[in-house]
Amino acid sequence: MSKTPTAVPVGAIPTPLYERMEAISTTKSWANWAGYISPLVLDTVEFEYFAIRNQSTLFDISPMHKYRISGPDALKVLNRLVTRDVAKLRDGRVGYALWCDEEGMVIDDGTIFRYTETDFLLCCQETMYSWLLDSAWGFEADIIDESHTIAGVSLQGPTTFSLLKEAGLGAVEDMKPFDLREVEPGLWVSRTGFTGDLGYELWTAWDDIAALWDRLWAAGGNWGLRAIGAEALNMVRIEAGFIAAGVDFQPVHTAMRLHRGRSPLELGFEKLVHFEKGHFNGRRALLQQREDGMKHHLVKIDIGGFKPADGSLIYHRKKKEVGHVTSGVWSPTMKQNIALAEFKAPYGKAIQDDLWVEIYVNEEGQWDKRIVPLTVVDKPFFQNARSRATPPKSF
Amino acid sequence: MSVSATYDVVVIGGGHNGLTAAATLAKKGKSVCVIEKAEAFGGMAREVAHLLYNLHPKVARELGLGALNEGKPLSTISLAEDGNHVEISGDTVRFADGAAHPDAAAYAEMIRRLKKFAGVLGQLSTKTPPKLDGGLTSLATLGELAGLAKMGLDLKRLGKKDMNEFLRVILTNAYDLVLDEMPDGPLAGALCADAVRGNFVGPRSPGTVFNLMYRLGQGGDVRLPKGGMIAVARAFEDAARKAGVDLRAGQGVTRVLIENDTVNGVELEDGTVINTRAVLSSAAPKATMEMAGIEHFDVEAARRMRHMRCKGSVAKLTLTLKDAPSIKGLSWDQMKSRFLIAPSAAAVERSFNPVKYNELPTAPVIEAVIPTLSDVEVASDGRHILSANIQHVPHTPEGGWDDAKRRHVINTVVAQLETHMPGLAALVESPDLLTPADIEARTGAPGGHWHHAEMGVDQILTVRPVNGMAHYRFAIGGLYLCGAAAHPGGDVTGLPGRNSALQLLKDGVLS
Repeated sequence: MSKTPTAVPVGAIPTPLYERMEAISTTKSWANWAGYISPLVLDTVEFEYFAIRNQSTLFDISPMHKYRISGPDALKVLNRLVTRDVAKLRDGRVGYALWCDEEGMVIDDGTIFRYTETDFLLCCQETMYSWLLDSAWGFEADIIDESHTIAGVSLQGPTTFSLLKEAGLGAVEDMKPFDLREVEPGLWVSRTGFTGDLGYELWTAWDDIAALWDRLWAAGGNWGLRAIGAEALNMVRIEAGFIAAGVDFQPVHTAMRLHRGRSPLELGFEKLVHFEKGHFNGRRALLQQREDGMKHHLVKIDIGGFKPADGSLIYHRKKKEVGHVTSGVWSPTMKQNIALAEFKAPYGKAIQDDLWVEIYVNEEGQWDKRIVPLTVVDKPFFQNARSRATPPKSF
Repeated sequence: MSVSATYDVVVIGGGHNGLTAAATLAKKGKSVCVIEKAEAFGGMAREVAHLLYNLHPKVARELGLGALNEGKPLSTISLAEDGNHVEISGDTVRFADGAAHPDAAAYAEMIRRLKKFAGVLGQLSTKTPPKLDGGLTSLATLGELAGLAKMGLDLKRLGKKDMNEFLRVILTNAYDLVLDEMPDGPLAGALCADAVRGNFVGPRSPGTVFNLMYRLGQGGDVRLPKGGMIAVARAFEDAARKAGVDLRAGQGVTRVLIENDTVNGVELEDGTVINTRAVLSSAAPKATMEMAGIEHFDVEAARRMRHMRCKGSVAKLTLTLKDAPSIKGLSWDQMKSRFLIAPSAAAVERSFNPVKYNELPTAPVIEAVIPTLSDVEVASDGRHILSANIQHVPHTPEGGWDDAKRRHVINTVVAQLETHMPGLAALVESPDLLTPADIEARTGAPGGHWHHAEMGVDQILTVRPVNGMAHYRFAIGGLYLCGAAAHPGGDVTGLPGRNSALQLLKDGVLS
C-alpha cells in the first residue's frame, strides 16, 4: 500500500487505476470487488466484448487476492494445499489450481505463479490469508499477503502482442501460454487470462501500475485498445468455459448451508486432481467420492434458441427437475446460446438425452415460458489457435 | 537405516494403555512390539497416579489383572477445619468419630443416582464412539448406532423421573448439583473435589457432573494395591510380556514411516527402523501427528489437534517423612484413608481461581494418602511416604518454574496438611514435587494433563480427541490412537488401549 491509511475507509475504495477509468467511463457502472471500486461496464458491453475478441482490452485486476508463499517448505505447503501436483510446475510457469477442505469441497480456485521451488504467488478470488497460515503451520514457509502491494492489469485480445511490442515489451514474444517472466525490473508478465484468447497479465508494484497503464494506453491507439468492465469479461469467460467462484460453485468456506460445497471432481477437474502425488487436503474424501460416485456434475451446455438462460431450471423429459444453469449467455462470436450448468448426478454425465431448459422471458411486461432442448458439450465453446500460437501473430 | 525387526503392530508408548493395546493384540495372535521412551514402563499410572480406581473389569479380566480390583477399598476422609472430619466408605457417610452425618441419606441417594447414570453412560466406554456421518446405509454406522440405541433404551428403562434427571444434570456443574442436595461443607467439598480432579475446571464449570459420573464409572471405589502404582504398572507390563509382546524401553520413536498413505514402519532415536503394518500410538495426538509428518494430515485436523485443550493442572508432591504423621481424632486405621482437603464446594471453586490466571495456588484442593501405613513393606527405617495430588497448579506459571516457586507450592501444601497433621513440617525429609511441566517432560502427556486432553463436552465421545478423529483411526492407513486422549479418556481404565486394539482388528488392517 502506498501509505498507511489513518482511518478505515468507508465504502469501496479506489484502486490506483480508478481515476483513469473514471475519466473514460460513460456508464458510471461500478461494482465492489474485494472492497475496491471495479467497473462493470465503462462504455457499452457490446463494444467491450468485441474489443476482447478483435482488438486489445485492459482490465484492472488489482483487487485480486495475492499471497506470497516462500521458504524451504513452500512447495510442500502448496502441494498439501492444492489438488494438482505443483512439483511438476516448472520455474517461471503459472498453473491453474483448486483447493479443498477436508471433505474435498472446493474452497477456491486460482493461479499459482512459480518463481522458484521456494517462492510462489497464489492469486485467487477469495480471502485466503488465515487458511494459508493454517496450511503452513508446522512448515518452514512464510505467507505474505501481497494483495495491496502488487497491482495488475489484464491485457487481452488478438492484437495484444503487437501492442506490447509497440510499448517496448516485445520481450514477451517467445512466451508460451502460462509462461511467467520478469520482462523489466519489477514488471512481471504472465501469458494468462480469463478470456480464452491471446492475452497477458502484467504485475507490478501498487504505485507503479498507473504508469504502466499509461504506457500501454499510449501504445494502444493502433491496436484498438479499450478499457473494459466485468460484464464483457463474464461473457468471454463463459465462452472459454472457465468457472467463476460464487457463481458456478460456492466457495465452501463462505457457504452457510449444508451440502453447498462441490468437489473438483464434480466441477469437472479430474485432470487437476493428482491423487498419486501424496497427501493433499481433502484427498481421502475425494478418493471416497470417486468410489461412491459424485452427487453433481457441472458441465458446459449448448441451449436451443437465443434467449439467455442464466439461472434457468433444467428438466429431464420435461418433467423431472435435474439441475440449473449457473452462468448462461448468448455468444455473439459463436452464435450459440451457451451456458455452464449444474446437474444432479447422473444427469449431465451418464444421462445426457432428453434434457430441457425452462427459460422465462419478459417481453415488455409480458412473461413467456420457453422449453428448449440442450446438448452437453465437452470442449470450450470458444477456441482459437491464436490464443496458443508462439510467437503470437502480429497484426 | 537398518531394518531391525518386523511386527504386525508397533505400539508407541508403554503406559498402561499402550500395554493394554499390545496385550490385547498379542492375545489375538499378532506380533506386537511396544516402544517406550522412558526407562520404565507405566507412564502416568506410575509417575502421577497414586491410587487405583476406574480400572475396567473387562480389561482386568482379559489381562489377568483381577487381583488389582480386589481387596478392601480405601475410605475417604474429608478433613474439616473444626475437626469434624467426614468419613465416606462406599455409600455410607458418617463423622470420623462415628457420629451420624445429617446429609448421609442425601449423599447416598445422590451417589445411587449418579452411579446408575454412570452405568448407562459406561456402556459407551467399551465401544468405539458412534459416528453418524456414514449414513444409515452403512453397516459400520448401524453397528455403532445400535450401541447408542441400547443406551437410549436403557435410559428409558431408568423410568421417567430418573431419565429426566439424567438429561437435566448431564451437562451441568457439580457445584449446583451437590448444593441442591446438601449444605456446603467438607462432604460437598469432597464431591466437588472428585468432580474436578485432573481437569482444568472448578466445580462451577459446566460438564463437571459428567466428570463425576466418569469417576464413578466402575463404582468409584479407590484402592491402593500392594506395592502401589509401581506394582500396578508392573502388572500391566507383565500381562503384556506374558501375552508375548516384545517390550523395548529407553528409546523413543522419532518418526512413523508412511508409504502410499499407509503406515509401514517406525524409526527410533538411534535410526533403527522397525517394519510394521500398523502403529498404535498412546502418545498425544499432536505429537503423533508430528511423528507421522504434518503433511499427511488435513489442515483442519492439524488445526484441531493443535488447539486441543490440554492444560494440565495436577501436580504431585511426594513427602518422605521421618515418622508417621497423625490427625487428631482419627484412628490408626483411619490414617490409611484417602484424605481430601476440600473443606467446601466454595473452597474447591476458589482453588481453581489462581490457575486460571497462571498463578500459583494459594489453597489448593489436595488428595493425600500415606501408602506406607497400609503397605508396611514399602516403608524403610520407620520412614513413611505421604503422596499428594495437588489440584489447580499451573503448567508453567508466569516467568517459568524456579526453586522459589517450587518451594512456594511445597510450603503451601505442607502448611495446609500441617493444620490437620500438627508437626508434619518437621517430619519432612525430602519433598519431591512434580509440576504439570515435569509430568509432561517425563511422560509426554500434553500439558502434563491427567487425561492427555481435557474431558469437556467438546472433547468427549464422538469428538474425542477432536472432531473427525474419534474412531481411533488417525488419518493415515494403519495409524491409530490408543492413549488417554482417545475415547473414553484418562484414568487407569485400560479402555482406550483395548478399544483401539479391537478397532484395528475390526478394520481388517492386519488381515
